[in-house]
Amino acid sequence: MTTFAKSLRWLHVNLFAKPFDTGLTLIVLPLLAWVLWGFLDWAIMLADWSVVLSSIKVLMTGLFPVEKLWLVWIALCLIAGLTGLASSTTMPFGRNALLAALALVALSLIAAAWFDTISAQTALVVASFFAVWAAGSRSETLRANLTGIAFGVLITVLLVLSPAGPSTWGGLLLSIVLTLTAALLTIPLGVLLAFGRQSRIASLRALCTGYIEVMRSVPLILVVYCIWVAFPLVAPQFPLPDVVRGLIGFTLFYSAYAAEFIRSGLQSVAKGQTEAAESLGLSDMDTKRIVILPQALRVAVPGLVGNILDIFNYAPLVFIIGLTDFLRAGQMILANPENSGRTYEIYVFLFLVYFAVGSVITFQARRLERKLAQGARK
Amino acid sequence: MTESQGQAIVRIKDLNKFYGSFHVLKDVDLEVARGEVLVVVGASGSGKSTLIRCVNGLEEYQSGNLEVDGFRMPRAEEREFGEVKGLRDIRRGVGMVFQQFNLFPHLSVLHNVTLGPIRVRGKSRDEAEAQAMQLLDRVGLRDQALKYPGALSGGQQQRVAIARSLAMEPHLMLFDEPTSALDPEMVGEVLDVMRELAREGMTMMIVTHEMGFAREVSDRVIYVDQGRITETSKPDAFFDNPQNERTRAFLSRVLKH
Ligand SMILES: Nc1ncnc2c1ncn2[C@@H]1O[C@H](COP(=O)(O)OP(=O)(O)OP(=O)(O)O)[C@@H](O)[C@H]1O
Ligand SMILES: [Mg+2]
Repeated sequence: MTTFAKSLRWLHVNLFAKPFDTGLTLIVLPLLAWVLWGFLDWAIMLADWSVVLSSIKVLMTGLFPVEKLWLVWIALCLIAGLTGLASSTTMPFGRNALLAALALVALSLIAAAWFDTISAQTALVVASFFAVWAAGSRSETLRANLTGIAFGVLITVLLVLSPAGPSTWGGLLLSIVLTLTAALLTIPLGVLLAFGRQSRIASLRALCTGYIEVMRSVPLILVVYCIWVAFPLVAPQFPLPDVVRGLIGFTLFYSAYAAEFIRSGLQSVAKGQTEAAESLGLSDMDTKRIVILPQALRVAVPGLVGNILDIFNYAPLVFIIGLTDFLRAGQMILANPENSGRTYEIYVFLFLVYFAVGSVITFQARRLERKLAQGARK
Repeated sequence: MTESQGQAIVRIKDLNKFYGSFHVLKDVDLEVARGEVLVVVGASGSGKSTLIRCVNGLEEYQSGNLEVDGFRMPRAEEREFGEVKGLRDIRRGVGMVFQQFNLFPHLSVLHNVTLGPIRVRGKSRDEAEAQAMQLLDRVGLRDQALKYPGALSGGQQQRVAIARSLAMEPHLMLFDEPTSALDPEMVGEVLDVMRELAREGMTMMIVTHEMGFAREVSDRVIYVDQGRITETSKPDAFFDNPQNERTRAFLSRVLKH
């Protein structure tokens, strides 16, 4: 079949199979084309993107001191490396990836030469993503220790950023740090809560069940606010910065959801698995850790990834405790009368970045799900 | 082999078990000698599985006494507060093979077999793997070691499950209908492995509906009827000349096809 015939066939099957499909296609396609045309027309002819370039530092890092920005670059390289390692567990680094790596590094170097606000460090971040991806594809040891490395990277990132003072963290940086921290901490906490909810000890069971149910029946914003207000009252001797209190709020709230996803995973593991492990004489702890939990997490992965995406998308709520995340940073720039006419540019930029990060998370998640499904064939 | 010859490895005295108010096992008395192959038969729902699951503590019992290998199995009220130490001591010496295999699907065949020896017996990985390869060789699955259970046939999975139990070097093996979930053409390969074990002198308690096999390998057959052991005989006597009316009815039902 020629390519042309194939395309005709594709069109027929997907767009014009039945009269109803045809009707829908004839309405939807022109509408889409019109919207896209309008958008491109505006984006290229009318919009003035210089506002994004001139305020990129605030959008990305908030009030982070300019002379310490190199700390942010180190943190970004670490996070990019971690993402690369995560990629290597689901996709081996191949020739296409190498080409993409070279192209992207070159592109960011060119962009750095063109716009002075995009520095050459961007190329370094991109390069560390691909370098660790390639290294991870080669080394079984690196991949096997992903969890440990992830926590190591998290702690290092927080330490690297701390000299600037957490109160200066903002913009996309804050959203990412918040997501990374909460996402990593909610999983072990969720595991503990889920096991606690099934414990033989009634008081522990009641405590965990109560915690999960309470967290799931109140709004996130309330939990974040309450923790922020209550912490200095409960522990005045530990003055924690707002960012840390916000992190605690997010982590405590989303742990309850993580626990529920993990619990449904635990319930999906057949009873025979526990019996087989016990028959071998494995301790309770080993049975849970080696036999039950890995199988439960497999089932819980889609839910847990949804959780991570939720954390990222709800991060703007930290404005209630006075923090400036990515969305808030955009609004702050618009509050400057100088930029008053540039509302659309800023919001379109925010939209695109949120969409890009969200897509990366869901894309990785889908690869992970597919890979886990392969090993689990019964 | 009779009870007077070998020393008993399992001693069950006046054992009673309830599921809530349902009396599943009633005044069970049973001894299994070292090296003996005991086959348990009975109608569906009579309590065969419950009986052998009591022997490795997967089920609790409410009264009476159950001793395995010199350890007394804790009763239900003693187990209310989680793990009991004696229980794990018994379990590591008792192998269990299930109808549904219950292999760990996320671990390779080799890892399934080495898990117990490494985590429970404290063997080194190398030592455990060498032993596992030997056992897999014995059940005819040496070349499947790196596959995952999901990639094996039912008969192969059950043979891995047997190898996994044997890796703990048990003194007693329990089998709960090991061939009932298998396609007919795979039953033979599993029974062959069990036959081999019997020949080597492994002590076994086997629940099975394979009457020909039962007659061939067993030293003794017991019949369980509504939670009671109603007949205990040598295999020839059991199959040729059953004493109990209900045993006769059961045998005529299962031997017909
Ligand atoms: N967890 C349970 N709760 C309540 N009753 C149970 C439970 N497990 C088993 N029973 C009941 O106990 C009785 C004995 O069950 P058991 O599984 O030991 O029978 P079995 O002889 O192995 O039968 P089969 O040949 O069908 O495997 C049955 O009537 C069954 O319904
Ligand atoms: Mg049964």
